[in-house]
Amino acid sequence: MSIKKRLKKSKDPLWLRLLPIASVVLFLAIWEAVVRLRGIAPIILPAPSAIADYLALMIADGSLPFHLGVTFLRIMAGFLVAGFFGILLGVLMGMSRIVSRLLDPWIAALYPLPKISLIPLLIIWLGTGEAYILTISAISAFFPVVISTYAGIRQADQGLLRAARDLGANERQVQLKVVIPAAVPSIFSGLHLGMGVTIILVVAAEMIGASSQSGMGYLLIRYGQVLETEKVFAALLVLAVFGGVIIKAQERIDRWIAPWAVGKP
Amino acid sequence: MDIFVENLVQIWDDGGDGIVALDGITHHFASAKLTCLLGPSGCGKSTLTQIVGGIEQATSGTIRIIDPANPATPARPGERSVMMWQNLNLFPWRNVIDNVAFGLEMAGVPRAQRYTHARDMIASVGLKHFEEKRCSQLSGGMRQRVALARALVMDQPILLMDEPFAALDAQTKIVMQEELTRIFERMRKTILFVTHAIDEAILLGDEVVVMTARPGRIKEVIKIDLPRPRSQELINTPEFGDLYDRILHLIREEVLNAMQQQNEAAAQ
Repeated sequence: MSIKKRLKKSKDPLWLRLLPIASVVLFLAIWEAVVRLRGIAPIILPAPSAIADYLALMIADGSLPFHLGVTFLRIMAGFLVAGFFGILLGVLMGMSRIVSRLLDPWIAALYPLPKISLIPLLIIWLGTGEAYILTISAISAFFPVVISTYAGIRQADQGLLRAARDLGANERQVQLKVVIPAAVPSIFSGLHLGMGVTIILVVAAEMIGASSQSGMGYLLIRYGQVLETEKVFAALLVLAVFGGVIIKAQERIDRWIAPWAVGKP
Repeated sequence: MDIFVENLVQIWDDGGDGIVALDGITHHFASAKLTCLLGPSGCGKSTLTQIVGGIEQATSGTIRIIDPANPATPARPGERSVMMWQNLNLFPWRNVIDNVAFGLEMAGVPRAQRYTHARDMIASVGLKHFEEKRCSQLSGGMRQRVALARALVMDQPILLMDEPFAALDAQTKIVMQEELTRIFERMRKTILFVTHAIDEAILLGDEVVVMTARPGRIKEVIKIDLPRPRSQELINTPEFGDLYDRILHLIREEVLNAMQQQNEAAAQ
């Protein structure tokens, strides 16, 4: 439900409904006041107004849109590769005991491994170019997708399967027309988890490798190293908003593809 | 279709001696009659229905399903029957018409043709104009109608109904019972109707099979000779009251037995 709807529906008094906005405004005002009155150096903590100025500047000179665009494309690439293979292998594992037995030990062993620890190895193998960023983000997003898909297929409601068979479905039809659609809510939740880690890993990989010298991770590291703290804050703000927008967009797409599945585990 | 059940035994594997769910059920479910299976929870009435529907395999015993017009070639369990489930088992990703048309789709009926059939059936259960709705957008009673239409569209002579109205509120239940009565009187299918409500069993059934607490056996078979078409007004007649009392006495004993069993199981 959107915030607007919630505001409309809510029976809370006006002041209570405005409290979230007031909380943010108050926080920014105190921050601004403290920085100005105490004369805190901008490299330690810039004032919100200064951050806003730099933000406008970075948008105007095109640097922020460019780096954000690059990061977005990398996230999409990693996410799509992970989504495709994750769903494919998850479905195959769910349908074939041979495939699931073959893949089980690998997934069990690799899933708990923090994927970020693969970065040194991947840099040795792939260098610090796009291939490395794509690989690290795709590998990380792959696991939640494959595991959720597999679980969704395995946990398909037995009642629905029996009903389908009773209505004359053969085993192939049961798989295609019941088991796979029944797994969609679970696949969606895997894709959401996958998107979350893709964002993290792309930004992290841009920070560590980044021979391409582009992307939000690269920007953050570079500004941090030269103590342009205003720009670090501006980039962080943009990343936060960007993450929120991506998650909202994903929910929209879910709702568009399978409205019945939204809000289910 | 006549359904002859002989010496049916169902034992669930519990790792030990097994749980006897059905213990030697023998009954003739008459063709084109509505038979109600009545008994305490856990008496195996759902299991019996599922065995007749070919959904469960019995441990032992025989089922013969015979078309009186063509007695030479008996049908396999499930071949000429369709189930309406207690929890409906509608496919949430399909809208009303695609739920109703599911069986036809599986049978390879072309889209235009199966939609025509499905639309007719949806209209006949009173859901016209709801074809494109998602099932989650419908009320409980409307979902029941979808499930009923999905079963009826299969055009099978045997309809198996496993407590389909148990979850409905009292008013909706009355409407659905009348709907089923009307459909039965029009289509004259062989119906097995599982219920734990005595009034429902008398109102709907040509015959009420009262079952015992576990292990499920047939305690008594009671003919319901009330005239058709029937309606809810029957409930106020003395004949209905007599039948109700008679069945109540039979069932009370079994419900007490079932409760005793549950208490013992809980105490262990």
